[in-house]
Amino acid sequence: MTATENPPVSETKGYTWVGTRPIRHDGYDKVVGKARFAADLNLPGQLHAAYVRSPHAHARITAIDTSAAEAMPGVKAVVTGDDFPMLDITDANYDVSLNVMARGTALYNGHAIAAVAATTKAEAVAAAAAIDVTYEELPSVLSIEASMADGAPLANEQNTQKFVGGDPTNISTHTPLERGDVDEAMGSADLVVEREFDCAHVHQGYIEPHACVVDTGADGKASVWASSQGHFMVRAITAAVLDWETSRIKVTPAEIGGGFGGKTTVYLEPVAARLSEKAGRPVKLVMGRDEVLKATGPAPGAKLRIKIGANNDGELVALDGWMAYELGAFGDFAGMVGAMSVASYKFPNLKLESWGVLTNKPKTAAYRAPSAPHAAFAIESIIDEIAQKLDMDPIDLRLANAAVEGDLTAMGMPHPKIGFVECLEALKASDHYQSPVPEGAGRGVAAGFWFNIGEQSSATVNLNEDGTATVITGSPDIGGSRASMALMAAEELGIDVMRITPVIADTESVGFTDVTEGSRATFATGKAVVEACRELKTELCRRAAQIMGVEEDQVAWVDGAAVSAGHGGGEAGDPLTLAAITAQAKRTGGPLTATASLNAAGAGPSFAVHCADLAVDEGTGVTTILRYTAVQDAGTAIHPSYVEGQMQGGSVQGIGWALNEEYIYDDAGEMLNPGFLDYRIPVASDLPMIETVIVEVPNPSHPYGVRGVGETGIVPPMATLGNAIDRAAGVRMTSLPMSPPKVLAAINDRG
Amino acid sequence: MIEAAGATVGQVLDDLEARHPGLGAALRAGSSAGIDGEIHADPEFVPIEPDTVIYFVAPLTGG
Repeated sequence: MTATENPPVSETKGYTWVGTRPIRHDGYDKVVGKARFAADLNLPGQLHAAYVRSPHAHARITAIDTSAAEAMPGVKAVVTGDDFPMLDITDANYDVSLNVMARGTALYNGHAIAAVAATTKAEAVAAAAAIDVTYEELPSVLSIEASMADGAPLANEQNTQKFVGGDPTNISTHTPLERGDVDEAMGSADLVVEREFDCAHVHQGYIEPHACVVDTGADGKASVWASSQGHFMVRAITAAVLDWETSRIKVTPAEIGGGFGGKTTVYLEPVAARLSEKAGRPVKLVMGRDEVLKATGPAPGAKLRIKIGANNDGELVALDGWMAYELGAFGDFAGMVGAMSVASYKFPNLKLESWGVLTNKPKTAAYRAPSAPHAAFAIESIIDEIAQKLDMDPIDLRLANAAVEGDLTAMGMPHPKIGFVECLEALKASDHYQSPVPEGAGRGVAAGFWFNIGEQSSATVNLNEDGTATVITGSPDIGGSRASMALMAAEELGIDVMRITPVIADTESVGFTDVTEGSRATFATGKAVVEACRELKTELCRRAAQIMGVEEDQVAWVDGAAVSAGHGGGEAGDPLTLAAITAQAKRTGGPLTATASLNAAGAGPSFAVHCADLAVDEGTGVTTILRYTAVQDAGTAIHPSYVEGQMQGGSVQGIGWALNEEYIYDDAGEMLNPGFLDYRIPVASDLPMIETVIVEVPNPSHPYGVRGVGETGIVPPMATLGNAIDRAAGVRMTSLPMSPPKVLAAINDRG
Repeated sequence: MIEAAGATVGQVLDDLEARHPGLGAALRAGSSAGIDGEIHADPEFVPIEPDTVIYFVAPLTGG
């Protein structure tokens, strides 16, 4: 079986390059191993660093004795919390600062307590083990129930409580959303289904551990090479944590071996910078897998209670929900956004209460469509149950209630132009859905939504003297965005996409650009690239007018060349190609370059609908996915292969989240499975080919209609597979992961 | 739904703050704004019409 071949959009939209599938510009380097990741870099005189991490989930640090470590062979520098300034609690980087290095209190097992730089990694590890830390254990909070209980001990006495106020609690956020009269609607509904759900912490599972090399010079300036989703973010947070001026730090983006939201924050760079400053030598800091899992951003765990009322004709009349997200030791917005991500159905009556709560576990981080998968697992499972009880086709039930332009999201704002109905219809018409369900299997369907975001981006486009071009941006390429930028530039300029070199420049060589997150790079940075190209086309016409000897307003840019009715003695003359104009750049005004910077609004919401055929071994509880199809609205697929790649990647990560992945803790708050043998992400042999159907409902706020595709694909898989398990084995799963022991237990309970 | 005056989101927040002390400041510190179907992460200077509806929502991030 192969991925679905979508017709090139260029055939239907009149584009030459947008919608085609050229080989990615960075493909060769990655295939032959030439691409340089952060851990590949080595500088002369470089030291290696290692951490001391807390063995306790919650403990006061009463003393740190580094004397023995400092006397060990090869040790050049040691840092503890005392080496970092204490930010004001109102500072936006307060939490990340305390996560980078504990100050007086260890807030989770794995929290950084100290770090050592030595000549070799082995010497650094040995010296770290010789640092004597005295702890006074504190009561730890290890579950949502414990965190929200009356009189619960505080997981973090410095809970910033940005939106709650009042006496200290473990609550980070509390968001009530309400419209209509839920109680009345629920009371008069023909059918009400209510269930409780829980979701374990899961990790983003990027293959490349966090890594950086930092060289802090005697002049106080630091050069940083780092793996991240945003090197301007690395610069900003590093400067804030160290209380340095931003201009002291230059960050060069290394290739990134996966991020998925987990590399939208900083762990290493301030520590490496301080060690380098103290040692006077470059410092390399690379996490081990156990450190990645124990000390970097998992997605939140969650508990949800969802009740939905429906009428016998399939109208969903009311949604009543309670959601609590477990954020780890520091707060964020997951609780709010989880509730806000309820946006797929009209629901005239709606009441959602959502919480973000602190526990003594690692600080959570974004993971593709952060916090939406939890909400979708619960809501889409109950919608499937309603379809079963009403004996309705699950797609028809969703079509009858699907949000369209103008309908309200849970947060109250009406949807702009969206393509949810088109996605449902595309799945219904697909070969998969039109094929019979395999004997003994069950077929599950579920939908997902994500907002997508815009934010700040910059781009510079340089036209070279031979008519080739360089497109320079500040967006790390985590999903094929180099190719997307080049394709949009090729479409604008009318030159071959392989004559364009897309470059991701360091923080001193391109304008400020926000993190590659929120499916924003092709949307927002792409918008900047298009703006810069359009400015260049205006300038190219001006130069062409000089060469042709006509007025500027007589020249237009058509199919990659300047044309003028007045050129050639009053009749349409030969077009002047881009290369013909750049060849004369020196004579007509100098280099041809343009820069655009913007803060992009109008990111287009994205919907996805997934379908899975799944078999259950009733003797073991093992599930086998027989066929899986992902449908998603991309707005416009600039490079369809990479859109499909994002859809497939999101699906596979969601499948792992649904069926296998979970953080397993002991009673003291230590993670028991910090490695890929025991924390099992899906491998190729676990899965069928993920079939894809790209839907294109253009976003009117982007010149090519881009919506962004990186995140929505992870939202539907949990309910898709839960619904398939129910239809295969007659058991409604409400706890993630739906691992074989849980499925077997449900089958045994079913009888 | 609360009515407030202003030619930009920032002016609306100023008006809200004057009439409901603390509200404008809280929204300014921690909100994005949905206006005409578009979410603005930094809406302070976004111009609005007299009948514009502004939806203040939690700041959105992503993965």
